[in-house]
Amino acid sequence: MNARGLRRYVDDLLGGRRPKPFAPDDFEAAQIRTAIELRAARQGDGAPRQEFLTDLHRRLAEQMHGTTPKAGPRQSATRRQVIVGTSAAAAAAVAAVAIDRAVIGGPGEAPGGDAVAGQLTPNDGIWQRVAGSADVPDATMHPFDLGSVTGFVRRVDGRVEAVSGVCTHQGCRLWFDAPDDTLRCPCHTTSFSPSGQVLTHQLPIAPKPLPTLMVREANGSIEVFAPPREDEPA
Amino acid sequence: MAAHNEPIGPRPLRAVPDSGYDAGFSGYPDWEAVYQDNAAWVYRTLFARVGNRADAEDLTAEVFLAALRPLRLSASVGEVRAYLRATARTVLAAHWRETLGREITSIDDIEQPPESEEAISTAPQRVAQVLDRLPDRYRQILEMRFLQGNSIKESAAELGISVANAKVLQHRALRLAAQVNEGGQP
Repeated sequence: MNARGLRRYVDDLLGGRRPKPFAPDDFEAAQIRTAIELRAARQGDGAPRQEFLTDLHRRLAEQMHGTTPKAGPRQSATRRQVIVGTSAAAAAAVAAVAIDRAVIGGPGEAPGGDAVAGQLTPNDGIWQRVAGSADVPDATMHPFDLGSVTGFVRRVDGRVEAVSGVCTHQGCRLWFDAPDDTLRCPCHTTSFSPSGQVLTHQLPIAPKPLPTLMVREANGSIEVFAPPREDEPA
Repeated sequence: MAAHNEPIGPRPLRAVPDSGYDAGFSGYPDWEAVYQDNAAWVYRTLFARVGNRADAEDLTAEVFLAALRPLRLSASVGEVRAYLRATARTVLAAHWRETLGREITSIDDIEQPPESEEAISTAPQRVAQVLDRLPDRYRQILEMRFLQGNSIKESAAELGISVANAKVLQHRALRLAAQVNEGGQP
């Protein structure tokens, strides 16, 4: 219980201020959800401000062209640092999404089935060794961590497969419960099959299955296609 | 142990089928076109799920800063939008994890295209249903405060009660609305 945190959160929503973090319980979370929907249902202020759009355009140009504006107001520096700080995690997750899409449209698949596929590969992915071939016999789940991507490789009828090791709900890292042959999320008791399908969950909406990753076996190694580590040249 | 997988190229070149989102316009000429065509619906999608401008702006910025660089312009408009919505989903989930430690709202998979009203927000319909099921006084205080943006003072005066009572009324109304909204009985 945190009556004060909730009251302040709702007051901030109504006052048009940025709400402050706190740790709500289930019912408080439900009230926040309802307050957000009520607030978002207000007529006439769903559209972005022109100043914001212009400012973001300038920041994107900076990022895309690597240029810094000559006389940029330094006042936005702190806000920007905050955003950059949280972006790394988001970027890694985005890379995983992109890889997922690349796999869906892989060359083994019949073309035309899924229009949203194939092209959204990471620009800077490389094949990275995650295990030796002998480390992954049939019926084992071999965990790996490449920094940008974590997951599990396994062998099914001789062929290697890889799934992401990050829960699709809130991004908690999964662990493999070998006796039950199940990937388990420590955060919300969601469980996945070794192929990535959702087995059990207690969430209002079923989480998505785990993305599969591009994987290959070559020269006695198992390799996953993933963005390179920050500290290594591609 | 059986045959090794054929090593496959990291970026297989494929013909991109016309996704049919925008007939006659298969892709974007540059990142600026991507931004200008999609910034508004991405922002509105996020605003509908955080309910305040400051967070909606920061999250929108985060989506585009994360998404544009790895984006391939050979992708069709439909693919780009699906990708932006997926990125927004990730960014929103991270936001809730960092601020409240749990997922309050999410961007779900839907059939409609991401830029459609149904995809951006179902809040107005859901809110109407919830308000319909509340007692009059509860409905009124929520409408005044959240939908009309009246102050607590104005709302109290309109309802003919004290400010303190209006606060209590709002508090109770939101509790009940949340129960209704979550599918419980009032």
